[in-house]
Amino acid sequence: MNHATGRKGVETLLSAALMVLLLRSTSVWAAESDHIQFENRQPRSGVDFVLDNGTLPDKPMIDGIPGGVALLDYDGDGYLDIFFTNGAHLPDLVKHEGKFSNRLYRNNHDGTFMDVTDRAGVSGEGYSVGAAAADYDNDGHTDLYVTGFNRNFLYHNNGNGTFSDVTERARVSGTFTTGKKLWGISAAWLDYDSDGKLDLFVTNYLDWSFATSKVCGAPGKRLSCSPTLYKGQPNILYHNNGDGTFSDVSESMGIAQHIGKGMGVAVADYNGDGWMDIFVANDNDRNFLFRNRGGKGFDEVAAESFVAYTDNGVPVSGMGVDFRDWDNHGQPSLIVTALGGETFPLLHNEGNGFFSDDSYKAGIGFSSFRMSGWGTGIQDLDNDGYKDLFTANSHVSENADIEGQQRYRQPNAVFRNMHDGSFRDVTSDSGSAMQVRAAHRGCAFGDLNNDGKIDVVVSAIGGPAELLYNTTAGDRHWILIRTVGTKSNRDGIGTRVRIVGASGFVQYNHVTTAGSYASSNDPRVHFGLGADAAIQEIELRWPSGTVQVLHNVRADQILTVTEE
Amino acid sequence: MRVAILFMLFASCGSVEVYAAPCTGAETQLAQVSHQLTLNSPEAAENSLRALSLSYPDCPEIILQRARLAQVKGDANQAAELYYRYTDGDPDDSRGLAYFGRFFLEQRDYMRADALSAAAVQKNAVDPVALSLRAQILVMKGQPHEAQELLEKAIQIDPDEPEAQFQLGEIYDKAKLSPKAVSYFQKVVALNPRDARAWDYLALNLEPLGDLDGAEEAYQRGLRVDQPGKYYDAFLEYNYGRFLAKRNRLSASKRHLDTAVALTPQIRAVWYERARLDMRMGNYQQAQADAEKAAACTQQGGIIDLQIYSLLSQVYARLGNTVLAKKYMDLTRETPPPVRTESR
Repeated sequence: MNHATGRKGVETLLSAALMVLLLRSTSVWAAESDHIQFENRQPRSGVDFVLDNGTLPDKPMIDGIPGGVALLDYDGDGYLDIFFTNGAHLPDLVKHEGKFSNRLYRNNHDGTFMDVTDRAGVSGEGYSVGAAAADYDNDGHTDLYVTGFNRNFLYHNNGNGTFSDVTERARVSGTFTTGKKLWGISAAWLDYDSDGKLDLFVTNYLDWSFATSKVCGAPGKRLSCSPTLYKGQPNILYHNNGDGTFSDVSESMGIAQHIGKGMGVAVADYNGDGWMDIFVANDNDRNFLFRNRGGKGFDEVAAESFVAYTDNGVPVSGMGVDFRDWDNHGQPSLIVTALGGETFPLLHNEGNGFFSDDSYKAGIGFSSFRMSGWGTGIQDLDNDGYKDLFTANSHVSENADIEGQQRYRQPNAVFRNMHDGSFRDVTSDSGSAMQVRAAHRGCAFGDLNNDGKIDVVVSAIGGPAELLYNTTAGDRHWILIRTVGTKSNRDGIGTRVRIVGASGFVQYNHVTTAGSYASSNDPRVHFGLGADAAIQEIELRWPSGTVQVLHNVRADQILTVTEE
Repeated sequence: MRVAILFMLFASCGSVEVYAAPCTGAETQLAQVSHQLTLNSPEAAENSLRALSLSYPDCPEIILQRARLAQVKGDANQAAELYYRYTDGDPDDSRGLAYFGRFFLEQRDYMRADALSAAAVQKNAVDPVALSLRAQILVMKGQPHEAQELLEKAIQIDPDEPEAQFQLGEIYDKAKLSPKAVSYFQKVVALNPRDARAWDYLALNLEPLGDLDGAEEAYQRGLRVDQPGKYYDAFLEYNYGRFLAKRNRLSASKRHLDTAVALTPQIRAVWYERARLDMRMGNYQQAQADAEKAAACTQQGGIIDLQIYSLLSQVYARLGNTVLAKKYMDLTRETPPPVRTESR
């Protein structure tokens, strides 16, 4: 071997070694990029909200359930703002101290937010619980509905940074036909009759008051009483009359006949008939699935569809819910959060009218058995084209730890979609923010910084809210679709979206702000696209019946689609 | 007489098994026999007792151990006769009363078991055998806190008393305090690896802690030693079958649930669980048969009517029998959900 050849040989060897190193580095990077990562940027965000449940030593039912969050672009600047509901002083149920105020924070586009509650006029009254945001009057400005124990509010967005309380005029105070104010928890905007105007569904919980309140657990270590000690309440469906008023159609549409203990609500067209259906998670009672009968009424078909109970035939402490297609088969499925010892039912839509409880089959049974969950979402958190699961966790009872088995403060959880119908609990690998134990409650999903990754805002009793920015590494592609209805409701809520990526990979989602627990999500429809830098086809099925198809759309953008 | 009084004093002061003069020199062997019987090894105990009877024909302790041996072997008449003989001869021996009480408990003669357990503790409040039995009775009488106190006392006196450890584990299991239950059942299986019940409980309590491999091993070890006798666990196959279904090992689950229904066909839970598995495996006809069997069982085994209705509604819906599906769906709507504990 001559010197030159030898030297070349060494260079070849070095090149090969370098190549191996590069390949290894790439594979390591790729593996790391697989990790869903969240970073809590609340400390430097200016969001100083602390959820105060006004707890009392006897731990009344009411103190376990507050904490709704809404992500809405109230000022139309293209960035999501944050609204938090808050509790009240107990037992008088009055927000007579500033610390109980609901809060609205405007997004400054730089990771910081400004408290605009007072200017916006949304500090609220009474013991607030949930929030639902949408443009109910089609004026281009996002309005806000707030549920609560003793007061519900509809805030009309004036388009100038302020809201007006139009609850009484709109006749959506959450009062039943008997005149009794029901205990509102979650709310969902949907156009159930596809008349181009958003209607409002409100879940109601228990027939409870301080006068009838029971005390559970030993003195000094009181526990939250079981909801089985109280009667449930009917849910309410308000029909939008289009003139700023609503009509309570709960009875005529087949909703009020079903008495439950309503917590979370989610909306989707589960049977593909073009009409939006409603799922209600009930606490220790059978869930409801209201199948839309062509906008003419609803049939409660949870038992027929096998979603009333778990596959073990018993109800769980249903809290939050989301209703989306996690396996890209074209039919939305359900996740319901529940308390420790129950598992989170993962109800897979078989497409034949039946659902199957896949909690153990999908691999979340054992993990979720040890968790108590509230807010939840079926969202593609790593932009790989498969929707993952997120749950905001905490036990309901502040003194749950006394018994040793349960933990009041729990870390949130993230389950990664493994593309084969199963999920893996990847919480421990998803960053230090996801290891924080807190009394988490509601959470809302959306892209706070418009980077194409779904972030999560979580409220926590007695602690600062968490602004969990999605910092998952990698260069996977994405698209956010903002729908603007013309014949349909202005937000396009209820529009079903099907996309075909450049690779031919097909996904489904729909426009809704409902889902999670007492919370309201980004109205923009998000798709992770994996390696697809372009989309062959986007098909939008608007509530009006219009089918609109876009071709060859670039990825990595926020696309506004106006109904043709 | 003096010897007898001294013996009584001694016995009341500690848990150490001390025998009267006719047994002097046999202490070690008798302790071994007692241990063998505790471990459910009747053959070894029988051989030892045979030899001891020849060497110590007047030793009353041998009668007590023979009574226990007869009990282990399932000869209730002989066991009763021998227990009577022993306790007639030494009515103040707490151990004799306690073992006799346990015999009555096994015979489901709860009144006598209760009376003898109370008498045993009265005779000797520091006898771990007596304390364990009394605690077991108290649990049955709905006094778990009092039982817990006695059991903690028993294991303080004798940390190697497996029955006390087992019962404490059971108390924590019922209270759904799995970490504590696990610690006690681990101790039991260390003391007596042939206790299939303890392996089962250990596995059941490792499951909610997320130690699935540990649970798997515990189930398997339990099944290896699950023999008829005191430590037999008729539900081990059922529990393991359920566990395997949750781990998506359906064929293996089926094998164990098949065995479970053969072992305890009178229990609703085993048919119910196999029907659920049949459903998952798409075998709806078999699911129907099993679900109907479950519905017909009078011993619920923890499965309430609502669960049966829900299952039957799904089975008939899958089979396309809309009439029966509707009947059971209506029943699920009409049947109120179970009222759980007051607090949560």
